[in-house]
Amino acid sequence: MKEILLQGKEISKVFVGGGENVPILNRVNVRIFKGDFTVIMGASGAGKSTLLYSLSGMDDITGGRVEYKGRKINGLSEKETARLRANEFGFVFQQTHLVSNLTLYENILVAGYVGKCRPKEVRRKALALLAQMRVGEAKNRLPSQVSGGEAQRAAIARAVINDPGLIFADEPTGALNKAGSEEVLNLLSALSEAGQSILMVTHDVRAAVRGSRILYMEDGSIADELTLPAYRAADAKEREEKVTRWLSSLQW
Amino acid sequence: MEVKILLKAGIKQHRGVLAGIFVLVLLVSLFLGTVLTVWTNSGSYMRHELNRAGFGGLTAWVSGAPDVNALAGQAAALHDVERVEVQRLIFSNYITNGQESDSEGQLISVASGDRRYRFFTDDLTGYLDELPEIATGEVYVSPSLISMFDVKIGDAIDFPLARNGGTVSLTVTGFYEDPFMGSSMIGMKSFLISGDEADEMLQVIQNAGIDALARSGAMLHLFQREDSTAAIAELNGSLNENTSLPEFTEFVHSSDAVSGFMLILQNAFCGLLLAFVLVLLFVVFAVLGHSIASAIEADTVRMGVLKTAGFTSSMLRRIQLLQYAAAILPGMLLGILLTRPASRLVSSATITTTGLRVPADVPLGLCLGAFAAILLLLAAFILLKTARISRIMPMKAIRGDMERSPFRPEKWPAVNGENLSISLAVRQLATGRRKYLSACVTAILLVFFVSMIVRMNAWLGADGKGMMDAFNPADHDIGIQSFGELTREEMERMILEHTGITDTYVLAMPGVTVNGVDFTANVIDEPERFHLMEGRTCLNGDEIVITEFVAADLGVAVGDSLTVGADLGIAEYVVSGIYSCANDMGQNVGMSREGYLKIGYDSPNLWCRHYFLADSSKKVAITGKLEAAYGGDVHIHENTWPGLFGIISAMEALLSFLYIIVVFFILVVTVMTGSRILSAERRDTGIYKAVGVTDRRLRISFSLRFGIAALAGSIIGAALASVFTDPLVSAVMKLAGISTFASRLDAASALLPVVAVVTLFAGFAYLAAGRIKRTDLTILITE
Repeated sequence: MKEILLQGKEISKVFVGGGENVPILNRVNVRIFKGDFTVIMGASGAGKSTLLYSLSGMDDITGGRVEYKGRKINGLSEKETARLRANEFGFVFQQTHLVSNLTLYENILVAGYVGKCRPKEVRRKALALLAQMRVGEAKNRLPSQVSGGEAQRAAIARAVINDPGLIFADEPTGALNKAGSEEVLNLLSALSEAGQSILMVTHDVRAAVRGSRILYMEDGSIADELTLPAYRAADAKEREEKVTRWLSSLQW
Repeated sequence: MEVKILLKAGIKQHRGVLAGIFVLVLLVSLFLGTVLTVWTNSGSYMRHELNRAGFGGLTAWVSGAPDVNALAGQAAALHDVERVEVQRLIFSNYITNGQESDSEGQLISVASGDRRYRFFTDDLTGYLDELPEIATGEVYVSPSLISMFDVKIGDAIDFPLARNGGTVSLTVTGFYEDPFMGSSMIGMKSFLISGDEADEMLQVIQNAGIDALARSGAMLHLFQREDSTAAIAELNGSLNENTSLPEFTEFVHSSDAVSGFMLILQNAFCGLLLAFVLVLLFVVFAVLGHSIASAIEADTVRMGVLKTAGFTSSMLRRIQLLQYAAAILPGMLLGILLTRPASRLVSSATITTTGLRVPADVPLGLCLGAFAAILLLLAAFILLKTARISRIMPMKAIRGDMERSPFRPEKWPAVNGENLSISLAVRQLATGRRKYLSACVTAILLVFFVSMIVRMNAWLGADGKGMMDAFNPADHDIGIQSFGELTREEMERMILEHTGITDTYVLAMPGVTVNGVDFTANVIDEPERFHLMEGRTCLNGDEIVITEFVAADLGVAVGDSLTVGADLGIAEYVVSGIYSCANDMGQNVGMSREGYLKIGYDSPNLWCRHYFLADSSKKVAITGKLEAAYGGDVHIHENTWPGLFGIISAMEALLSFLYIIVVFFILVVTVMTGSRILSAERRDTGIYKAVGVTDRRLRISFSLRFGIAALAGSIIGAALASVFTDPLVSAVMKLAGISTFASRLDAASALLPVVAVVTLFAGFAYLAAGRIKRTDLTILITE
């Protein structure tokens, strides 16, 4: 039996626009298991990014409950939420969202300093991560001075500096070219292989095949899910075909 | 039409900043209008009232003259004199609320229907429509006695006319406006009494014979002929040369000198406030500059789009100009409208110091001229600052490809975990230096000005010693002048009962003529005690020291000779040095006892013995004991005068006012610049929050940026104040006859404005950063 890491119960999200309530998430029930590389897919407007941000506490929910490691996390105080983000969650965004006036190294350090480690330990880990993400050479450059791929790899290093329980990745390859996308996905796969729990939103099948579990969203609900064996580069083509077939069956 | 739509949109978008500019301009306009109104009106009202009440260009106070009318006739016969008016009076010391006046009072009888003076209503908010009948036992006084002696209606004022029960006690029945000597800056005060009272008093004085303490006298108001070209000093010289007036003259003052005395405090503080308004105006420019630059930066893309749609740079600049005009013009207009009530408030608040109810009518010509000049400057500044709109290339702007100076992170301290908030603050400051420039400039200006006032306040001292030292020819703790039996031995015995005497000397202040012009002489037995500025003191009997003002007026320098005359004759003296003494607005000379006795009579009553006490806090006890024992036979003065309390309280009020305005300006500047910066940093704020940085830490880091910017500015401001206060204030003080201004500050006082301004900037920035709490992390979501 897999350990439930994050759980959404009856999650609803309603936007008010033009005097009308527009439901985005309809009483969604979802479980994210420890060690899984979970992928959320769906058509545009299906509510996949909204679900990701609702589960991560970055966005409010209209109804329902979100639990992380069995503890309710929606409605926490600002301080508790910040502590949760610092120590338990890591974020990778479509746009890299690095602070523009900090170097890549400093971007990683800032995230590390608000975590549990001592500053000296943070610095050591940050340097190791930069090397691991192959951006050690560019560590003293500003985000504007490196390529999109390098910046996103630095963003991944920032996401893992505090050994988070779960990484939330929202279209992490959305703004990258093919080579850059491949590098980022390889890093996420490597992290997953090392036991890191990841929840990723993507509309890219090549990115989705890296996951071990794919959730398909439609009209604010989870319509179906597909479980895959652990990713191996050699099986990539086969997985891609399998996922494409599955998506086709869902009329994606 | 398009311009109108864009203008409305711009005003809506930048309403917060425009509201801030509106408030700043409103305050600047209000203060400027009020200062100009009070300053202009007090001067013109003084001149108008002096003319209306019939005070001439020169007034001589005489006593002991057997026939005052004959004296007036001699003066009126002079070629330059048109006419002479005589006001009879009684010179007398006075005591009220347990305090003895340092200067004599002059009791003036007012005949029924005499409209020379205007009487206030009891609450001092207006004038009585009908002249009051002054009854026997009643006295009307200047409202400045309220600030000087805490006098209220119903209080008694005692006039010791003669020894052995010759004291007359009068009840304060009301207040009147005395444009001649009503200010608390003038020690001598006029008291209006009834004709019958004056006759009775004169009878008491006459009957007392040698026991009389008061004396009868008169003011001779000399009106100069319109075609006369003689200077007032020449007229004075002519009086001394051609009439017997010098035999009976106590002192002579021109109406200009009287006006100067009357308005010295008003003018000094108006000058300071005007300088403060200029400082605030510079702050407005700094804030406006930052606001325009950041607005253009934020709107670059929109402007690029508008240019592709056919808008020219000049149209866009005009829209910016109109947008800021929408805040500036209403602010200025409201400031002008509020000037009158504010001026009325100032007039009411200062009536107990100036003795005048200065009209609050706004001098429209002057104010509109000043405001028009400011408007032109602001318009030119806005057009200058918006010139960069011309450099916006549409496609570059739309692509977000604007030129920015590259930031070099290696040149700045790295972010470190030990001081994360500070290091992040430093990094943000380093990256956006220009954004914090307005905070820095504001801090420089405000700290400079406040430090200058704090230094002036420190110079003045809690008890006004700084100013007293400037007015006194030589230092002392207490001065005792005997008019009767009290001997030196006896006065010292009584002092020693309370505290030790560390030093003593004698000083007299007789009137003399120098090159034919009346001056007060400070005659001292130890001339080395004079506050000397240049040359050496008058150690020899044929030497004299003069103030730099006398030197300038007479056109003499050290080494030159002067002819000095007194009641025994005249003699030549060599100017051996320049000394400082602001008495009579610096119109005095210093002589040695030996030197003076060559031309003046000696008399035991002439000399006032000055003492330095081992414990100066015993002054009050000593004064009380001597007065109780010797009454009118002794005159005791401390190193203070009642008008000083007016200056001290005005200085305290000014400091309080400055601090309130400083607080308000810092609030507006911080909120305005802070909100701009926070808006521009919303994405970064979201990133920091996403990685787990708390709102509190972000707010602290934000407030530290303003604190650091303000600290840099404050240090510069304090340093500038330490360098420039003395020369700047000295230049102003010289107008009041004070030639020595040297400020000294202890570290705590010097640091106070710095700490206050830095704390305020940091504190208000922390409050302004409250919106960080509301920064939604969905800003990071890419749809």
